[in-house]
Amino acid sequence: MNFEELFWVLQAMVGLGLVIAAIAAVRFKNLVSAVIAMAVFSLILSLEFYILQAPDVAIAEAGVGACLTTAMYLLAIKKTTDEEVIE
Amino acid sequence: MTVDGAFMWALILLLFSAMLTLIRLLAGPTIPDRAVALDSMTTTTAGAMVIYGVVTRQAVFIDVALVYAVLSYIATLYIARYLVKKRVGVACECEEGEAA
Repeated sequence: MNFEELFWVLQAMVGLGLVIAAIAAVRFKNLVSAVIAMAVFSLILSLEFYILQAPDVAIAEAGVGACLTTAMYLLAIKKTTDEEVIE
Repeated sequence: MTVDGAFMWALILLLFSAMLTLIRLLAGPTIPDRAVALDSMTTTTAGAMVIYGVVTRQAVFIDVALVYAVLSYIATLYIARYLVKKRVGVACECEEGEAA
């Protein structure tokens, strides 16, 4: 297996994972589950930037996607009422 | 098999295990299942990032894995604080001070 084949296999797996995580983030009824699916989407998008040889963009995406948006969404959900949050 | 081929197969197997963890995240009935699936998927992907940096022989790529590992720790910490505050996944719903 040479490097070109590895690149295309990685691209296929990352694209499939992006589609699955995006559909899950839209279709989850539970708010915290949707936030976790958004964190997974951000992780796979950071991996995509990483594979495309842009490590600085991947670091920025990791900082914004993994840390900031998850924390801010959870702080916002904590202010909402309970009836659609708790499973 | 050369050393690079072994690293590439290890990378593909790590990403395949990350996709198996994604199945657990989709099917997990409760929120703690999904939080643990997110944490394990992040750790697996950080290992895959390190192996990709070894294969392409660029030392800058290791930093991304380190930064992502630290930041995902903070995200998991926030999810855990939320679950403790809302008492999700607590086995005994008894009051404080009672025997468990």
